[in-house]
Amino acid sequence: MMSSNTASSSSGNAGSADSSANRRTSKRPKYSRFTQQELPACKPILTPKWVITVFLLVSIVFIPIGVASLFASRDVVEIVDRYETECIPPANRTNKVGFIQSSADKTCNRTIKVTKRMKQPIYIYYQLDNFYQNHRRYVKSRSDSQLKDPKSASDTSACDPEGTLNGTVPIVPCGLIAWSLFNDSYSFSRNNNETLTVNKKEISWKSDRDHKFGKAVFPKNFQNGTLIGGASLNESIPLSEQEDLIVWMRTAALPTFRKLYGKIETDLNPNDEVRVILENNYNTYSFNGKKKLVLSTTSWLGGKNDFLGIAYLTVGGLCFFLALLFTVVYLVKPRRLGDPSYLSWNRNPGGR
Amino acid sequence: MSGWDRVRASRSRSSQNSAETTRTTSRTVTLGRVQPQAPGHRTIYCNDREANQPLRFKGNSIATTKYNLLTFLPKGLFEQFRRVANCYFLMISILSTTPMSPVNPVTNVVPLSLVLLVSLIKEAWEDWKRFQNDMTINNTPIDVLQDQRWEPIPWKKLQVGDIIRVKQDGFFPADLLFLASTNADGVCYIETANLDGETNLKIRKALERTWDYLTPEKASEFKGEVQCEQPNNSLYTFTGNLIVQKQTLPINPNQLLLRGCSLRNTEYIIGAVIFAGHETKVMMNSMNIPSKRSTLERKLDKLILTLFGTLSVMCLIGAIGSAVIIDRKHFYLGLHDMRKTVEDDQFNPDNRFLVALLNLFTLITLFSPIIPISLYVSIETIKFFQSTQYINKDLRMYHVESNTPALARTSNLNEELGQVEYIFSDKTGTLTRNLMEFFKCSIGGESYGTGITEIEREVAHQIGTKIREVEKPANFIKEKGFNFDDPRLLLGAWRNEPNPDICKEFFRCLAICHTVLPEGEESPEKIRYQAASPDEAALVTAAKNFGFFFYRRTPTMIYVRESHVEKMGNIEDVSYEILNVLEFNSTRKRQSVVCRYPDGRLVLYCKGADTVVYERLADGNEDINKVTREHLEQFGSSGLRTLCLAYRDLSPDMYEKWNEKFIQAKSSLRDRELKLDEVGELIEKDLILIGCTAIEDKLQEGVPACIQTLSRAGIKIWVLTGDKMETAINIAYACNLINNEMKKFIISSETDAIREVEDRGDQVEIARFIREEVKKELQKCLDDVQQMHSVSGPKLALVIDGKCLMYALDPSLRVMLLNLSMNCSSVVCCRVSPLQKAQVTSLVKKGAKKITLSIGDGANDVSMIQAAHIGVGISGQEGMQAVMASDFAIAQFRFLTDLLLVHGRWSYLRICKVVLYFFYKNLTFTLTQFWFTFQCGFSGQRYYDDWFQSLYNVIFTSMPVIMLGLFDKDVSASLSKKYPELYKEGMKNVFFTWRVVAIWAFFSVYQSLVLYHFVAISSSSAQNSSGKIFGIWDVSTMAFTCVVVTVNLRLLMMCNTITKYHYITVGGSILAWFIFVFLYSGIMTTHDRQENVYFVIYVLMSTIYFYFTILLVPVVALLGDFIYQGVQRWFFPYNYQIVQEIHSDEPRDMREMLELEIGNQLTPEEARSLAIAQLPREISKHTGFAFDSPGYESFFAAQLGIYAPQKAWDVARRASMRSKPRLGKKN
Repeated sequence: MMSSNTASSSSGNAGSADSSANRRTSKRPKYSRFTQQELPACKPILTPKWVITVFLLVSIVFIPIGVASLFASRDVVEIVDRYETECIPPANRTNKVGFIQSSADKTCNRTIKVTKRMKQPIYIYYQLDNFYQNHRRYVKSRSDSQLKDPKSASDTSACDPEGTLNGTVPIVPCGLIAWSLFNDSYSFSRNNNETLTVNKKEISWKSDRDHKFGKAVFPKNFQNGTLIGGASLNESIPLSEQEDLIVWMRTAALPTFRKLYGKIETDLNPNDEVRVILENNYNTYSFNGKKKLVLSTTSWLGGKNDFLGIAYLTVGGLCFFLALLFTVVYLVKPRRLGDPSYLSWNRNPGGR
Repeated sequence: MSGWDRVRASRSRSSQNSAETTRTTSRTVTLGRVQPQAPGHRTIYCNDREANQPLRFKGNSIATTKYNLLTFLPKGLFEQFRRVANCYFLMISILSTTPMSPVNPVTNVVPLSLVLLVSLIKEAWEDWKRFQNDMTINNTPIDVLQDQRWEPIPWKKLQVGDIIRVKQDGFFPADLLFLASTNADGVCYIETANLDGETNLKIRKALERTWDYLTPEKASEFKGEVQCEQPNNSLYTFTGNLIVQKQTLPINPNQLLLRGCSLRNTEYIIGAVIFAGHETKVMMNSMNIPSKRSTLERKLDKLILTLFGTLSVMCLIGAIGSAVIIDRKHFYLGLHDMRKTVEDDQFNPDNRFLVALLNLFTLITLFSPIIPISLYVSIETIKFFQSTQYINKDLRMYHVESNTPALARTSNLNEELGQVEYIFSDKTGTLTRNLMEFFKCSIGGESYGTGITEIEREVAHQIGTKIREVEKPANFIKEKGFNFDDPRLLLGAWRNEPNPDICKEFFRCLAICHTVLPEGEESPEKIRYQAASPDEAALVTAAKNFGFFFYRRTPTMIYVRESHVEKMGNIEDVSYEILNVLEFNSTRKRQSVVCRYPDGRLVLYCKGADTVVYERLADGNEDINKVTREHLEQFGSSGLRTLCLAYRDLSPDMYEKWNEKFIQAKSSLRDRELKLDEVGELIEKDLILIGCTAIEDKLQEGVPACIQTLSRAGIKIWVLTGDKMETAINIAYACNLINNEMKKFIISSETDAIREVEDRGDQVEIARFIREEVKKELQKCLDDVQQMHSVSGPKLALVIDGKCLMYALDPSLRVMLLNLSMNCSSVVCCRVSPLQKAQVTSLVKKGAKKITLSIGDGANDVSMIQAAHIGVGISGQEGMQAVMASDFAIAQFRFLTDLLLVHGRWSYLRICKVVLYFFYKNLTFTLTQFWFTFQCGFSGQRYYDDWFQSLYNVIFTSMPVIMLGLFDKDVSASLSKKYPELYKEGMKNVFFTWRVVAIWAFFSVYQSLVLYHFVAISSSSAQNSSGKIFGIWDVSTMAFTCVVVTVNLRLLMMCNTITKYHYITVGGSILAWFIFVFLYSGIMTTHDRQENVYFVIYVLMSTIYFYFTILLVPVVALLGDFIYQGVQRWFFPYNYQIVQEIHSDEPRDMREMLELEIGNQLTPEEARSLAIAQLPREISKHTGFAFDSPGYESFFAAQLGIYAPQKAWDVARRASMRSKPRLGKKN
């Protein structure tokens, strides 16, 4: 609407100059390009040449990007170790849930062999599967105001059923998300002895740390209920420094997701053996969820993800192929542009 | 003229077809309904406000507004929620406030309120304009009698019983009882154009008893009591009594001056207010135009229903999925401790049915954007602009002569204009100009007049010859009604003709034998003639130009200023005493005047149809009679309307004898008309033929070309006219509707067999016989059609007259008629009544299920205009009735090409695209949400932030589509007209079939899959070198960005023309999204949900992933569409695409140049004679009898002081109205 007004006003005075005398009585509409529908316009016609050009253009742009990102992705070294079954003693594998809920020792040793040289920083992820962190009941079960502001500690209305302890005392941080905090822990050593320190600082997005989790908010009554969902928190550390929690609370989009656990700031060499001592505490067994430990380097593009590269290459290749195909068709069976004999009333003059 | 005499004729057998009338009229929408009459009558005390006080008559202020300040909100909202879509969104909004809702109520409330707000503002604006209009009317001053003085007061202060004065050209502020006039004889002239569209002046005559109350002093003495019927809406009836000084005088409509009429030719009149304000007849007649909905919109409803079905299926899948998947094993969902709240019930694995049910509601709220909320508002906005800015302001549809632009009275039907398949056209005033011009004549066997009729010219043009216009002499007299050029007759040259005496008779007959009223100054230049029919005025004008200037009429005398009679240059005033007038009526088909010359010569002048005049000619003069007949036929075949003139000298004795009989007949009380006719026969015999006149009923400009263009566009044109068959066929030929290659079927009631039966006079027998005949004829024609169909023979044309049509429209024959007429490329129905016009229209509308358009100019076309899908009125001429009932008003028939082929086609194209685009963008958006639902355990988690979702429709995707609806055009206006065949695509509804919808739906699914999965899959690992991982809101914001970009770019792909506004809005929409998200995610407020997306966009934009994805995803998503478009255009091009290609490299000006026609270079004389010679002469005895005009009788009658009964067509209308209230509710 805005545009139409400007159209009529801008070109309105360009209207015909005649009959200024009887303009007052005349009902002659004023000329404007807008009302006469004669606005200057570009009229793209999708001719075969254009089609082929566009296809070629897309392939020219896409194939290099695809190659580049595929290379970037291939540069990334990623080691995935699935451990949820291995870390249950064979005797207990018939009743994994029972085992995980028992108080038995759940320490588990895993050995990971480094195949390619991994430059630091090496990121440690845990990957869960079949875990609906994006479930509606789960996603909303948090209180952002409580996380941020110590005065809003009792603001737990959205957190049920993990909002309060016994219905009165507010839990900080409340809600199902915090309650189900992942609590497997890993420690690493290389080639038997050399301990690899895990840096757990700055594994969360800065904006979360600074703005969503308060510096003056401390965990209270956390995991004090009858049912323990996951990890407990050190009540003397403010939430803004509880980076595991912060990472966990940026809920994942898909039921299969990775979360950053920490960084190893040492290069790993090929054939290094990394020994992982892990505490297999977290219950994914009840819903048959997999648990994976992932060690990964990054490239300028991020972690190992061939999807983008392949997609770019595929599309670029497809477009190139289509360009060829259209060219062939164009040469074999050309249609003369603007041939009136193609008009339907010329094709079958008898028919209506 | 069309239709009127047909009605008149049908009056006689109205009893017999009344059953038919009542049955069929329920379909025709008429001018309002007859209100039930309040019992009793009202008594009005004139000039006595106190006495009227207790009776509480309504005041004279009117209000046509729908709302007032208090009722606006409730009533306006109520109106809005009568729309199903709005109700749906209200329901969704209510649902979204419940805990079941996954989204914040703002998601649904904001768009709904915006939509409502826009609609309400529009309503308020329209009502405000109505209010202002009312105020202007209510505040018009009028002189009212107060204390023996005329006091100007506004109309609204007027009260029933007031005595008022209305000056010349003033409008009557209320229904008045006519008391006195400045004219002698207490008459006044009124124009009723606002009521019935007739511009002929009508005469009203006050009761003799009240003539004196003219001055304020006198008028203030007037104390009368009016007893009359209660207010009603019948324009032509009124009964009441005026009681003055214990004397009861009957009042009839002749003393009633209706609000809305205006006073003419009278200095002023005095009247007493009888009905005021909303009780006046015109107000009681006003009604809202029945709102028509376009076919496309109805199909749109089906699309919406389909979407609703899709929504239900999606919700059902989701609901079942949620019930299946919910399980305690997902301990992190906290299902161990279920309370009795809705939130918990929704996920309680113990009651899976309830889970499914509650999730169903959740998902309905979540997926509600699948139905585009702003669709209706957008379409309305677009249509509003289309009609107010494009159609109303199109210079190509502006008619300079009448200073009339086109007018779209409704914006609902714009796209319907692009799908019209049948046009029903009135003839007079629509195809022809209803501008009668004296064109040729034949005097004493000599033919005069050199003009070429437009019909001849058109016929010549079709044959391919060009007639060069003869140079008009500098002193060529051209005025309204006179288009005659022949130096042999003008400026007294007739004296040198072989027969000057007979010329003199001819001119005198023209000047004397008529019923025209001169008006204005008595000089040839300034005088204006008021005539019942334009033919008459043309004849009198002709006499004036021949030097016989009729300038004054008194009841007994006619004054003529005659030039060159005795000798050249001599001018003298002659007065003729008019002794008798034998008036015109449709049975007599002639009119005679007995006059006495100043020298005592008694002459009867007669003019009439050739058939009746020839019967009454004296013996002898066979030569002249024969030659004149030839001329008559020649005139007739070139489309002229003819009249024969004759005279007879009377001897005083014989006249006296006859006059006695005449007076006797005139004063008889029973069968007066019949007796007058009989007496007329006694004297109208042994006539001597003077000659004949030929009047051109001019074709409207460009009609044949327009019709040809329209028929190339595949539109079938039917002419429905009240004219006689010959005239109608003639015009049809001229207009290109029928040509000689066509096979014509003529079904006429004017056959000998039928006439014979009719003469016997047995009504039942006549009906039975005609029906049989019609059936036989129809069967025969159908057989012919079937035979010809096999060999793809010539095109067919059907001509049928009203009487036969009446039987053919009978339910038993209707199917045959329809079958036959569907096979014909043109159909001419002549002598049809207004009602039949409507019946024919609805026959095709309902029977053939095609889009119909009716075009007409007069009151008799109203029913047809309202019956068709689209009604078009011819504006800028006399009368507003047709325009008031129409959906579009144009000044000229030829503007139909622009209206249909340009505006209609574009509107159709645009609206189709807009609808499909809306469908596509909302389906795509909702489907991405749907795919997410599969991956979040069917929990109904929203994928997008609330505000994203609510602003998606309202801001991020709303403007470009409006630009599409406003600016898109496939080919330019001139090409649209150059290739009318393009129009067929709209007729077949090529752009909005289910196939097209399915294709869009397919690509919508494809795109949504790409948009969701590409983003979701590619974002599962770390996206920059810091190794951090995205959360759900990062992914969804990414996806949403891709959706906005894709959907907006898709719009550009579907545009045929891309203006700067497209760039601005498409770019602006994408930019708006970024600006919004920068602000929105950059600011942290205390509101809970927003923190989900806090800083999200900055996080996203810090990764290279963002840029890679935003390049990849839209391209991949649009690749499918692009391939489809490329292949479609390459291998299965639409016609418009070919035309685009043909003209792709022509600069714009060149294309406009193509429109100009370049005449060829024959010499004028050659071209003319050649062309005339090549004219096909219709072998027809028809000679175009001119006096075929409505209102003729009543005009005469009024002049003689007889009140003519209401017209038959009015009876029919009233009859048809009676059934309306029953149906009214449904519409």
